[in-house]
Amino acid sequence: MDFWYALVAGLIIGAIFGFILQRGRFCMNSAFRDIILLKEYKLAKAVAVALVVLMVGFAIFAFGGVINLAPKPFKPWGAIVGGLVFGVGMVLAAGCASGTTYRVGEGMMGSVVAAVGLTTGALMTGFGVLSNAKNALQATVVGSGPALTLFGEFNATITPILMLVVGLVGIALMFFFWAWPAIKRKREANESLIKFENFKEATFKKGYPWWVTGILIGIILTAGFIASNGVVGITGGWMDISLWLTTTDSVMWPGFIIFGIIIGAFVSAYIGGEFKFRVPKDGFTLLKQFFGGGLMGFGAVTAMGCNVTNILGGVPQLSLHSIVTGACIMFGAWIAAYLLFMWRKD
Amino acid sequence: MVDITDTLDCTGEVCPYPDVKSKRKVKKMNSGEVLEILIDYPLSAERIPETMKSLGHEVLSEEKLGDSSWKILVKIK
Repeated sequence: MDFWYALVAGLIIGAIFGFILQRGRFCMNSAFRDIILLKEYKLAKAVAVALVVLMVGFAIFAFGGVINLAPKPFKPWGAIVGGLVFGVGMVLAAGCASGTTYRVGEGMMGSVVAAVGLTTGALMTGFGVLSNAKNALQATVVGSGPALTLFGEFNATITPILMLVVGLVGIALMFFFWAWPAIKRKREANESLIKFENFKEATFKKGYPWWVTGILIGIILTAGFIASNGVVGITGGWMDISLWLTTTDSVMWPGFIIFGIIIGAFVSAYIGGEFKFRVPKDGFTLLKQFFGGGLMGFGAVTAMGCNVTNILGGVPQLSLHSIVTGACIMFGAWIAAYLLFMWRKD
Repeated sequence: MVDITDTLDCTGEVCPYPDVKSKRKVKKMNSGEVLEILIDYPLSAERIPETMKSLGHEVLSEEKLGDSSWKILVKIK
């Protein structure tokens, strides 16, 4: 990929993604953890909406020949161990890979520390002392073709059709169970469905409703796939930046995405009056965030992708590897949330 | 003017401590008392008032004090 193209397109897509992440407070740590911890489902619903939009979006552009789908091959041990470790790590780090990155732009120093931990863990697992463990976990591959999907081996013609079907069924179900009751309630109360008069305030100053966040995340990550003919990732971007800092390599597409996210989140936070340098009060929290980041780095490299690559990139392509990884990330988050916040009631 | 019974300072806290701490705090307080929550984390600043309402408490005010800084007053049911 041409350097200038990567710079311009990466920064633009990253910045829009970062803006949406900050406005939507979109973080899979909160999304998954709070299903059991706070019995709060808004962000989890936003993830679900993003997934169906991505399924339809990826399918349409795959039909058009604009993008080449490439779901990951199913490496069960990498998915299970990597996913669980990532899930535990993101609760300790107080943010998933994308959540940590956008909060850097908000001025949260704890997230900067978590991002350093993420990068360190990822590099150690990719090229350092933990690479043997990762290689051993990734040694087992299930399937006879390029990649196992939910409905058998990946097929460039059939898989997009199935993605479209699953996506449209998902949209129909969500409309019926989530959107329709809300519309009916508003009609009965004689409220207008969308209030356009405070559109500017709602776009630039307030947090987005979960369904708006989900749709926008789906659109921007589809655009990201089109722009790079590959899924958007976070962990690889941080590794890219660390290589840029320590070697003579220039920043590439994944690194510009990260810079873009930080810039977009900063702009969004600044406009909304939410930018402030914040440091956790006790050093132990910072240590926990660093360690949690490190676990996320190990998990992401072992599972061949963080929450964005696997859940928002692989699951829409129906990759079994990404589906198992996503489920394990959620279980990992639940285990950590239970042990940290629910086990000891005080 | 509201008499504030107690203050919970959540500034600098990372996700989800503001939510967890405020939930635990109101459990220990008595009916009619007022809790002041200081917070600098946007997600929790939006979510805590909703959580409090769903727990049946009355949210007296949500005030933005400055950049990423909020004050929430909750009256215990």
